[in-house]
Amino acid sequence: MAKPEQDLTTPAKPGIPALEWIAAGIGLTLTLVIVGVIGWDAVNGTAAGQPPAVEASVARITPVATGYVVEVKLRNRSPATAASVGVEGELTSGGTALETSRAMVDYVPGRSERGAGLFFTRNPAQHTLQVRALGYADP
Amino acid sequence: MHRRASSPAPSPPAQSNSDYAGGLARAFGGAVIFSLPMLMTMEMWFLGFYMDRFRLLLLFILNFVVLTGLSRFSGFEPTVRLVDDIMDALAAVAVGVIASAVVLGIFGILDAQMPFNEIFGKIVVQCVPASFGAMIARKQLAGAKDQETEDAAEAEAGYGGQLFLMMAGALFLAFNVAPTEEMILIGFKMTPWHSLALVMLSILLLHAFVFGVGFPGQEDTPEGTTFNARFFGYTVTGYAIALLTSLFVLWTFGRTDGAGLQQIATMTIVLGFPAAVGAAIARLVV
Repeated sequence: MAKPEQDLTTPAKPGIPALEWIAAGIGLTLTLVIVGVIGWDAVNGTAAGQPPAVEASVARITPVATGYVVEVKLRNRSPATAASVGVEGELTSGGTALETSRAMVDYVPGRSERGAGLFFTRNPAQHTLQVRALGYADP
Repeated sequence: MHRRASSPAPSPPAQSNSDYAGGLARAFGGAVIFSLPMLMTMEMWFLGFYMDRFRLLLLFILNFVVLTGLSRFSGFEPTVRLVDDIMDALAAVAVGVIASAVVLGIFGILDAQMPFNEIFGKIVVQCVPASFGAMIARKQLAGAKDQETEDAAEAEAGYGGQLFLMMAGALFLAFNVAPTEEMILIGFKMTPWHSLALVMLSILLLHAFVFGVGFPGQEDTPEGTTFNARFFGYTVTGYAIALLTSLFVLWTFGRTDGAGLQQIATMTIVLGFPAAVGAAIARLVV
């Protein structure tokens, strides 16, 4: 017990340094975790043939110098990834369309969220604002 | 990989912790150097979340097998036993995962709000080239002294070993360029005549690299072998390996899904070009 550090540096087997056991141990743990998680995902995760299901909702409205920014949250509830997702916001007043803004998001991965922003000149708080996801492409 | 029963490779000297730490440091350097182009390619990040999980799993397992084989010829320490090769491969995976996670994290590609699956997938895809880089770092970054055991192993690798090295080189280079959109775009731009010309060029380059340029260990090609034996034994076989490797990589990345036969053939030929170069220079890099 006088010099415990020396015990650490003494290899368990001659020729293999302790550090190698540690590195290989970390590698083994990571390998098992990766194989386990990806394997589980392969069997249970991606429901084959299930389409992406992206829904848009208004996260926040902020006034800026040129008008208003509507931050939109895109949430994909399906495990399938949607690419080139279009999002549209429409400002209506008594059934009349006042303004329409569109944005495009490169990817909304499966079971994930992505954000987008729409610019309006009129105050969305004073009218009816509807946002919706327009469509997607397969990645 | 086949072990020669009568392995005359010199048994490696016992290593200390500090020797191994040096090897690990080189491995981290190699992991970053060789995977940097892919860490900075957005298609690689996207593949992390949309890639088919069965294919990702297969890629990861195949990568591990390749790493174990490469450990004999490269790796961070001289090895003679299979157990050592497996331990080296595990350490390379550890280095690859950690290096990928750190770099992607610093780039802001990973953030805490992403679902676990996305973060995990991005790291696993990147760890393939990174662990490869970690494994071959020794060859590239180590002093000449450390080379002797590996060169001895390479010199007696035999025909199967040579083909394995070609496959590893082809896999690495094909993996480097396959994720980008340009691979598909090039395929669209080419006419069948261009494709044929590219096949010729690939074979020509492969042959020139393997036999024209002076390679270490090249002398193990038996003296007096005819042009035909060399051409069909190494060049044509090497090109076949490059094409098969390309097809595998394309399939892994989902590029072949729904593509017509003609298009798959063109893409395979396009990717076969870097793969052939990778196969040809495998002995230099690995």
